[in-house]
Amino acid sequence: MNDTETTADHGLVKRPTGIRNLDTATHGGLPAGGATLVVGEPGCGKTIIGLQILASALKRGEGGIFMSFEESRDQILRHAEAFCWGPPLRESSRCEILDGQSMRHGEFAGAFDIEGLLAVLDLCVQRVAGSWIVLDGIDQLLRRQPDSQMAIDQIAQLNDWCIARGYSLLLTGKHTGNDRPQPDHLSGIEFMLSTILVLSSILVDKRLNRRFRIAKYRGTRHNPDELAMLIDDAGIHLPYAEPFDAEAVPAAGERLGTGIERLDSILDGGVYRGSITLVSGQPGTSKTTLGTAFAAAAARRGERALLISFDEFARQIVRNVATLGIDLQTPIDSGHLKVVARASWDSLVEEHYMALLALLDDFQPDCLVIDPASALLKSSGAESAFLALERLLAMTRTRGITTLLTSLSEADDPFSESSLSHASTLADTWIVLRYQINAGERNRSLSIVKSRGTGHSNQVREMLLTDQGVELADTYPFGSEVLMGTARLQKESEEEAARQHEARERRRRQQRLEREINKTRTLIQQGQEELERLQEEMMAEHHEHTASDHEADRHERSVLRHRAPDQGGLDQ
Amino acid sequence: MNRPLADDSCPQNTPLILLVTGDAPRSRRAHRNLMAALDASGLDDTSVHEIDLLQEPQQAIRYGIFATPALMHIDASGNRQVLYGDLSDELRLKDFLSAL
Repeated sequence: MNDTETTADHGLVKRPTGIRNLDTATHGGLPAGGATLVVGEPGCGKTIIGLQILASALKRGEGGIFMSFEESRDQILRHAEAFCWGPPLRESSRCEILDGQSMRHGEFAGAFDIEGLLAVLDLCVQRVAGSWIVLDGIDQLLRRQPDSQMAIDQIAQLNDWCIARGYSLLLTGKHTGNDRPQPDHLSGIEFMLSTILVLSSILVDKRLNRRFRIAKYRGTRHNPDELAMLIDDAGIHLPYAEPFDAEAVPAAGERLGTGIERLDSILDGGVYRGSITLVSGQPGTSKTTLGTAFAAAAARRGERALLISFDEFARQIVRNVATLGIDLQTPIDSGHLKVVARASWDSLVEEHYMALLALLDDFQPDCLVIDPASALLKSSGAESAFLALERLLAMTRTRGITTLLTSLSEADDPFSESSLSHASTLADTWIVLRYQINAGERNRSLSIVKSRGTGHSNQVREMLLTDQGVELADTYPFGSEVLMGTARLQKESEEEAARQHEARERRRRQQRLEREINKTRTLIQQGQEELERLQEEMMAEHHEHTASDHEADRHERSVLRHRAPDQGGLDQ
Repeated sequence: MNRPLADDSCPQNTPLILLVTGDAPRSRRAHRNLMAALDASGLDDTSVHEIDLLQEPQQAIRYGIFATPALMHIDASGNRQVLYGDLSDELRLKDFLSAL
């Protein structure tokens, strides 16, 4: 055996199965020494688990043997070759498929031992230097024991033998009841073994839903939940086994444009990178248009956008939104945008979930649009579609993928009956699209119900689809109504007329004042001239007076001198 | 059963093979039960060939027999019939032998 790959958990040494989801659910794998019982109804995937574990062991350079008590070697290999990992099982020298089914045809006359089986297993597992032994349908052999206690003892014997040698043993057995942890013919075995996996299947809406549960895994932590199980050509998947790491969720402060300028300005610059936006509305309220505008904007920024459509086919979407000036073809051609159409009714919820995860892994988008996410509700599955959606959104959050979901609301009130309204708690931004009907018109409106971490407008706005894209128009509150469409246009033209009238009035008032000013200026100028003239006149008057006064004075002094006694007769 | 073995290296004149594992109690019991039944039906008990799977595990793969003890009969045309267990079910053992 190869011990290098095993991990110890509380003293129990585990060996990874190489099936990622299974290793996650079992917290590291199955016991490195000893038996694991896989029970389930026919067709639940017991054999596939065994084959897939063996195939992944081969891939990691380990070896193993597979022995079926139900099918021939060729049947087993054909079965395996339906999976992508199948061919090495036939080709590898580290693997042996043993045919135990011939025993089915034998008759039984009394109790029997399994030492011969152990001798064979020992021979083969050493031949391939193996660490895994799968005994498929062991119940087919042991049910032949006349005493069921003897069969139980032999399972214990197998278990002890594997523990002693450090082999990981997988036993599969059928049961027909619902979720019983033991095969029909081996009741009591569940007390004997420390690891039991239960596979089951139920029909939901006539579709097969597979389930996986670790009924028992003594001495180690494990995921005890019943998990949805899928089988595709890569083998089994447990889509919900992966844990969600809340610590890993980034909180970016960067705003991303929605592709609609006015909407960005209402949203304080756009939505946060890595956030989730829900757009809900009735049919025809342009949810898809909003989604495609968002995807196209991402592609224009040079990011990768993934658009999942459950309603329309890729080409239709490209054609339809092109008439609104939203170009999807260019980013599709440049590889920035991928449009994937899926039919909601075609798959189980878990299958959609798996496929979407695969797309996220494959395309590595920066932005994701699911249109409409509510279509997932139409696909059948025992698990709630909300669970799948919540897990998907947890994934997009963890990876920092900015997500926009649309949701079809059936009734007039998008709040009470929006089919995803309680998923809206997951959304950071919730935009509601509605029809406003008044004055015989149906007009699209957009309002933002919430937007976390954003000071956003509470105003309902009219949404206009033009050949230049989506525009948001100003709205006119009129009493309790918001005016849209023709009413808005009428109001707009009334306002325009009033504006023009006022402008004319203003111009008239201004001209009158200008005239008054000019007139006054003229009056002022005339007054000034008069003032100057009067001043000059006064000045002249003054000069004249002074001159005559001076002459009179001189004359008087001369008269007086002549009259003086000492000066008589002499004229000086 | 009903599977011809083309190149059967088992002695052709041995119609009965008893596959055992060492001297496990059930193997010993099967041996005893077989001998008694052969005696009772007047058949030749020297024609029984014993294979110990602990010694020759590859024989188990060859015959596709993984539970022991097991009594195997190969007829002239190579068809095999196997009776598993300690052969304590006398009636079944008698039935099996009567076909010889």
